[in-house]
Amino acid sequence: MCENEDDIITVGKYVIIKKQNFKKIYKVATNGILTLGRDTVQMHEIIGKTFWTTFEMIPVKKGKRTYFLKEVLETESLNDLLSELPSGNDNRTIVDDGTSQKLSKEEILRLQESGKTGKEIVGSLIENNKSFLDRTEYSQEKYLKKKEQKYLRYITIWKPNISLLHDVYFQLDHNKIGNLRMDSLSQLLSYSDVQSDGLYILYDSGSHGMPAAAMLNRIGANTEGHLINLHPGNVPQLALVNAMNFPREQLDRLINVNIYSFLRLYYQGESAVLDKISKKVHNNCINKIKENESKNDDESLVNNEISQIEETDMKEGNLNNINESNDKVEHSTNGSLKRKRDESDTHEAVKVTVVKKPKWLMETQYAVELVKGSKARGLVIVAKEHPLNIVTALLPFLGFSRPFAIYHAHREPLQETYMMLKQKQNVINLRLLSNFLRSYQVLPDRTHPDILTSDTGGYLLSGYLVQ
Amino acid sequence: MSFNKVKEFIEEGDVIILYLGHNNMHSLEIKAKIPNKNGEMVDNVFQTKYGALKVFSLVGHKYGTKKKLSRGWAYVLQPTPELWTLTVPHRTQIIYSPDISLILHLMDLVPGSIVIETGTGSGSLSHALIRVIRPHGHLFTFDFHEQRVNIAQAEFEKHGLSKFVSSSCKDVCIEGFGKELETKADAIFLDLPHPWLAIDYAVSTLKKSGGKLCSFSPCIEQVQRTCAKLISKGFIELNTYECLQREVHVQYKNLPILNLECLQYENVDKDMAQESENEKQEVKLLTAMHARSLPGHTGFITIATLPPFHVRKMEINLKSKD
Repeated sequence: MCENEDDIITVGKYVIIKKQNFKKIYKVATNGILTLGRDTVQMHEIIGKTFWTTFEMIPVKKGKRTYFLKEVLETESLNDLLSELPSGNDNRTIVDDGTSQKLSKEEILRLQESGKTGKEIVGSLIENNKSFLDRTEYSQEKYLKKKEQKYLRYITIWKPNISLLHDVYFQLDHNKIGNLRMDSLSQLLSYSDVQSDGLYILYDSGSHGMPAAAMLNRIGANTEGHLINLHPGNVPQLALVNAMNFPREQLDRLINVNIYSFLRLYYQGESAVLDKISKKVHNNCINKIKENESKNDDESLVNNEISQIEETDMKEGNLNNINESNDKVEHSTNGSLKRKRDESDTHEAVKVTVVKKPKWLMETQYAVELVKGSKARGLVIVAKEHPLNIVTALLPFLGFSRPFAIYHAHREPLQETYMMLKQKQNVINLRLLSNFLRSYQVLPDRTHPDILTSDTGGYLLSGYLVQ
Repeated sequence: MSFNKVKEFIEEGDVIILYLGHNNMHSLEIKAKIPNKNGEMVDNVFQTKYGALKVFSLVGHKYGTKKKLSRGWAYVLQPTPELWTLTVPHRTQIIYSPDISLILHLMDLVPGSIVIETGTGSGSLSHALIRVIRPHGHLFTFDFHEQRVNIAQAEFEKHGLSKFVSSSCKDVCIEGFGKELETKADAIFLDLPHPWLAIDYAVSTLKKSGGKLCSFSPCIEQVQRTCAKLISKGFIELNTYECLQREVHVQYKNLPILNLECLQYENVDKDMAQESENEKQEVKLLTAMHARSLPGHTGFITIATLPPFHVRKMEINLKSKD
């Protein structure tokens, strides 16, 4: 097998940890620790191994829920526990009186602590379960699946890709990615015609970078495409972009810009933007004190822009390299962002007179250059705000005959946007869409839709810009 | 040649989308003459409900602009795979954009991927696959119907996509995907009546570092047989989905408001209930209507992952799901 560098797990890379049906994103660190429920896992063993390697979690000390990892080639499966056992035809003899399992909770715990393998534990669970043999074979299988989840301690390391990352986030907390279900996400990519070349514009107000990661992924490595990622806040949310381990060259074609700075620079020029900062810095001192007092999560729009500017300036001032500070910002909570802003107060006087252009301004200038050079080939809006003003502001950057797609968790704002766009007569083929997605359990003689299905697909408004 | 890059002006040889309305779009080739039923070359004139369009007169026209017709307007768009899917001449059942989108997502395709599609059918999915994998990737598409292969090939050429795709006439269930494709593919897509027959070949065609297999089947029995076969061949992470897209129609609705409160009290002067009947109170509501009917079923999409060669399990207990 030819192994290339991409297949080796190295420090700094993001990986996906899979334990049975549970998946988690993990950034490889030299002496990393991973928390899996109540278990703590020492992760250094995975460094230098290839993706798809499976490890067994072995307790560091008996009775403790801290584990180290050992590479394994063969994993044990519980299925052969079943092969010789008889099973019942139906559940007429099974009474749920809580007495089936003869082992007490303490005894089971002791089994676990004694260092027995998962298979041995489940073996004795079955032995001591008086109704197990009366269960149908299907029910026995289901029982084992459940126990496998609990007692088998294998983890496999996978390479992140968009569908896996989306899956992890959607299972974990779909709110974090703006309720973007995979069908909606995949249709955003289709209806915006995103591909390897051309300029694409995305407005995303906080989905942990899911749409940006998915779009950059479609733009691809070593291609000509560019993505301008407009955001309303202090810093772009890029957690999932980072988790994709994109090469530098590809990441450089993702330009993250504050939407206010972008539009002001485009329409009013550099001096207007710089004026704005020096004027507002003074006001902002007062605002900031208020903000800190109120501890309000919702910041006013004006403050957003200014704080973004400061945030980036502060980063420039830091001796830390950019990567490091990016990570910090990403993981920090709102509270710590504020703390940072306070720190930046002290630098304020210096900042206003700084001659060197700050990074955010360079990025914004680059974005403006790009849109001046060519019209966008596709536009995507994933907004928590009302999308009407956003799409009105961004449509002038889209080429004629080119598509746009707007996602919103609610239907009403898209209805209003639909009506307003329709009246302007410069968009055609406007369609308001919603999707129904369900998954299936496919098993011999037991195929049916999964019992639970997501009902939060959101709404899409798609159309084409014309002259 | 209008699929491979963004164009500003319409040129001879382009394929354009003529947009007359929501459900009234046509793909037209910009040519002065086209053959008629008898094979004679005649002027390329397209009849619309707003009047006739001399197709060749569009040359030099800007994409995304209006074209005046004798009784109205039409818009001219540059085709995208989505517009192509809506206007492609049907030679078979086709897969539509909602399913296509999900298929592309589940197969984890990126520029540079090597992907196999079978059957080619009308080429609706092919255009979307090519969009994802180019410029470095390649699509190998197979169909056992020779005429369909030839038409699809001619279309790819006309659309300027032929360097990203190879199409050939082959029954992959009998012949497999061919020696030269062994261990080459990142992903394989099956849209076949008996997809399970192609899975043995799929295993040897996917890369040694593993890959994805996606199967689209309208019937659940096909899905069951396919899944059983996939599991027996060492595929893992099997998932089957069904995706239905609903379009809702945005409209204003005027809702009358009845004044019933006044009926509780006697009113000597005039009958207020009667009065409100005359000057109806209404509320204007912006709302959306669901369609009277919608495609209730298209097909089941099954996705499976083949692990890298060194961790594949060859003998599998057929009972377990994954």
